[in-house]
Amino acid sequence: MNNQKNHNPFYDPSLSSRHRSARLFKAFTRGSILITLAFLCFFIFDMVRTAYPAMWQSYVKVEVSYNEKSSKISQKAIDKKFRKIVSRAWLRSIPKLLKQQPELMGTTANQWVLADDQVDQYMKGHHHNLKQKQVSVIETLKTNAQIELRWNNIFLSQGDSKLPENAGVYSSLIGSIFTLFVTLAIAFPLGVMTAIHLEEFARDNMLTRIIEVNINNLAAIPSILFGLLGLAVFINLFGLPRSSPLVGGLTLALMTLPIIIVSARAALRSVPDSIRQAGYGLGLTKIQIIQGNVLPIAFPGILTGTIIGLAQAMGETAPLIIIGMIAFIPDSPNSITDAATVLPAQIFTWAGMPERAYVEKTAAGIMVILLILFFLNAAAIYLRKKYEIKW
Amino acid sequence: MITTKGNSKENIIRFLLIFASVISIITTIGILFSIFFQAIEFFQLKSFWYFLFGTEWSPGQENSKFGALPIFAGTFMITVIALLVAIPVGVGSAIYMSEYSSRLRRNILKPILEILAGIPTVVYGFFAALTIAPAIVSISGWFGLTAAYNSALACGIVMGVMIIPIIASLSDDVLRAVPNSQRNASLALGMTHSETIRHIIVPSAMPGIISAGLLGLSKAIGETMIVVMAAGLRPNLSWNPLEDMTTVTVRIVDSLVGDHAFDSPDTMSAFALGLVLFVVTLVLNMISLSQIRKFKAKYKINTL
Amino acid sequence: MKTLIFVLGLTVIFSNANASPRDQMKIVGSSTVYPFSSYVAEEFGSVSRYPTPVVESTGTGGGMKLFCSDNSLNSPDIANASRRMKIKEFNLCERNGVKNITEAMFGYDGIVLAQSEKNKPLNISKKELLLALIKLVPNEKQDKLIDNPYQFWDQINSNLPHRKISIYGPPASSGTRDAFEEMVFEYQTDEIKVYRDAGLKGYRIIRTDGVYIPSGENDNLIVKKLSKDTAALGIFGYSFLTENSDTISGVTIEGIQPTAKNIATKQYPISRSLFFYIKNDHTKDVPAIKEYIEMFLNVDLIGEDGLLAEIGLIPLTDQEIKQSHERTSKYQKLTLNELKKNHGF
Repeated sequence: MNNQKNHNPFYDPSLSSRHRSARLFKAFTRGSILITLAFLCFFIFDMVRTAYPAMWQSYVKVEVSYNEKSSKISQKAIDKKFRKIVSRAWLRSIPKLLKQQPELMGTTANQWVLADDQVDQYMKGHHHNLKQKQVSVIETLKTNAQIELRWNNIFLSQGDSKLPENAGVYSSLIGSIFTLFVTLAIAFPLGVMTAIHLEEFARDNMLTRIIEVNINNLAAIPSILFGLLGLAVFINLFGLPRSSPLVGGLTLALMTLPIIIVSARAALRSVPDSIRQAGYGLGLTKIQIIQGNVLPIAFPGILTGTIIGLAQAMGETAPLIIIGMIAFIPDSPNSITDAATVLPAQIFTWAGMPERAYVEKTAAGIMVILLILFFLNAAAIYLRKKYEIKW
Repeated sequence: MITTKGNSKENIIRFLLIFASVISIITTIGILFSIFFQAIEFFQLKSFWYFLFGTEWSPGQENSKFGALPIFAGTFMITVIALLVAIPVGVGSAIYMSEYSSRLRRNILKPILEILAGIPTVVYGFFAALTIAPAIVSISGWFGLTAAYNSALACGIVMGVMIIPIIASLSDDVLRAVPNSQRNASLALGMTHSETIRHIIVPSAMPGIISAGLLGLSKAIGETMIVVMAAGLRPNLSWNPLEDMTTVTVRIVDSLVGDHAFDSPDTMSAFALGLVLFVVTLVLNMISLSQIRKFKAKYKINTL
Repeated sequence: MKTLIFVLGLTVIFSNANASPRDQMKIVGSSTVYPFSSYVAEEFGSVSRYPTPVVESTGTGGGMKLFCSDNSLNSPDIANASRRMKIKEFNLCERNGVKNITEAMFGYDGIVLAQSEKNKPLNISKKELLLALIKLVPNEKQDKLIDNPYQFWDQINSNLPHRKISIYGPPASSGTRDAFEEMVFEYQTDEIKVYRDAGLKGYRIIRTDGVYIPSGENDNLIVKKLSKDTAALGIFGYSFLTENSDTISGVTIEGIQPTAKNIATKQYPISRSLFFYIKNDHTKDVPAIKEYIEMFLNVDLIGEDGLLAEIGLIPLTDQEIKQSHERTSKYQKLTLNELKKNHGF
């Protein structure tokens, strides 16, 4: 073996060490990517583990008596020993219920109702603040099968609440949708128009260069400064309502703009010139060509960039602190000028809550936002692949 | 069918296109406008030079001092740690994706990186505060060191993870943009694959990689949620990354949502810090742009 | 084209901004009051016919700024505060036409010192706390002020354990910190001769050498840090202590346990009052305000067995509740003299 090599005129004695270093280098690059993947796996595992309990919520079966007394003081509707077991969120709704359905008056019913968050934590084996007396009540309920963990409907159908068992992401989800809608409505047309101008019309003059540098800078400016802009311009100068999806959406739109512009430009650039030439040959004007031929071809690319921009806007929190979207807003907004909160803001708020039950809610909120982002990104990748045209 | 009507319509459209393009300039001016005046007001109350070079930051009291050097130092420290994590891992990943991995694998890896890039920073913040920071305390405990629970190291590491996808994605684009002829020439000369990468491709792509690093740097400097949740609030001038430190963005949030009176220099200092942040990220971006332009000019590429 | 529509839309919204009566209340202010205020808001939203008020935690100062910036219906109706309104803030209100304000006190908040459950019970006096935390301390001869040298508790008092002094607490921007400095430092340094001789009467600067670790308003993180960092102490609001009684326990101050009872009777030495301020000019156009206040100040909520007590509010005495009722029922106007007279109660 060795001999053979020595007869080879091209034999390089350092070859084996060169190969070793090549292997090492490859291992290093592979290691880097593995570190990244490992982090992602560990992180997702950690979140899923924490979020899992939030999928279930405790319910108890109690005897409820609807009468004059309970229509005034709702606590009177149930036996005294259950008062700390059931959720206040359900209790306080009794008077309203009786007003809506007066025929219930004077009846008693054995029904399943939402349990208190401490009971819920006890059922899930987490730390709880229950007194011994209450624990024994729960234990008897358990043996009689009058308490159970059910699929948590509330989390996706309710807004924020100070009662962890009643807290959900619904209104912040709606808030996010409203905000992103405003962002899309502003950033998409502006971004595409800017891209068209820069790619198709602009001459290489001073203004164009300033605009180009500016767009690049805008992408690098820290998000928190956009919050200061939103506060100073949209709220103080224009007098738009604080905490509203309108202001949030406008602020995020300005942040998303550079992403959309850059991707739209790339998409427009990828449209071959022959298309344009053909259009000129048919006597179309430049705008007709862009409208009728260039934009439709570039559209999937533009859309991909827009989706990625929106996904980024969706997770943004810092500027929203400054424009008042991090607040207690349990109701979902009806219009873009109503006060609203968004998903990441909801996560931030819950993370700061003293009640332990919010830990799982926070993680569950994180799972919701990650799922949405995942689907948005998947949609972007799908579009990119489906409409990828090879010229 | 060219009519005067069509022309005027086209003129309107062209005007609108220019108007849309100018929005980006207006935005930049708007940001400057919304921080500049209050920053000036602050500098009328407190010395500008002491702000830049003073070492004591003691708001919320009489004779409050606003020397932001410890804050800049904290920002610098956390950012440097982040880059120490992100540049090797990011560039390494990019090299793997562009040079070693198969097309198929690359098509899987890149979206995964994009997922990492899409994780909201609030989420990273909690991860830093509750998982990484305690781990660092116990690990440094084995070596007989004491670490703070809101150490700069914890923030830096998580921030590094946050900017890995930025650096990896941009570097990958740049590496792939290096003409194949260079690779082939090097391989034909008998260089190993890794030698080709290290001696030919990476140096060629260097301006682009530098640009990616600078972009990551400015993202790290401006990152807010991670540090708000996991970094300290104490301005601390120290070289020890195990101590707690604060950053510019943390101070901005803290002074804007704090219980200070509205017109106190404490509140106004947020705008002065914001101005610094604005200027620094702007300068970094300019350098980054000039680097990428260099790269483009060299290889006559215009897809980046 | 779309931009044009947008600009038009913007002007429409802009002109509509000072709209007619609205149903939804806007509340801003202190992060300490926020849990209570938002709890009431939620109750109000689910029981009354009005939508749930928006409660934003901006910090007391930030809240006052918003509250006082404008008297129009665009501005907040109520400002929560973990301290009294400052005279400067009152003047700002006056200047901007917010001239008719009612002040309502609704409870107390105890500021507690806590440590990990794993530790032995600890008792610290206010004096020891001062010496552990303040920047300049008297030297041995009590004639000069020197930089705080104490690193371990037993250096201050040999009866205390040999434990590193390490305290997590609120940042300088926080009202909790302000109140803590006032009650623990200012009142003491007012009395101590060395400080007075040095011209530092009411000295209240916390040391910055890493012993005191400002940790932001997110007290949850402090709680978690304490359970891991067993040597450290944490400073936060009373409600966090009750909520996390499995991992942390209260440190007794001057031998007094931080319990709801001790705080309410003011035996426990570090507590403060909580307020909200009502913009009276809004009560006509925002009918929800009246009902909200009635609900908030009801014994069912702020009383001894009230719902807010469960989440950590220290109730007022019956007498004080009555006073608050009186003030709010007739929207008694807050005057500058009143603010000047008993500042800092």
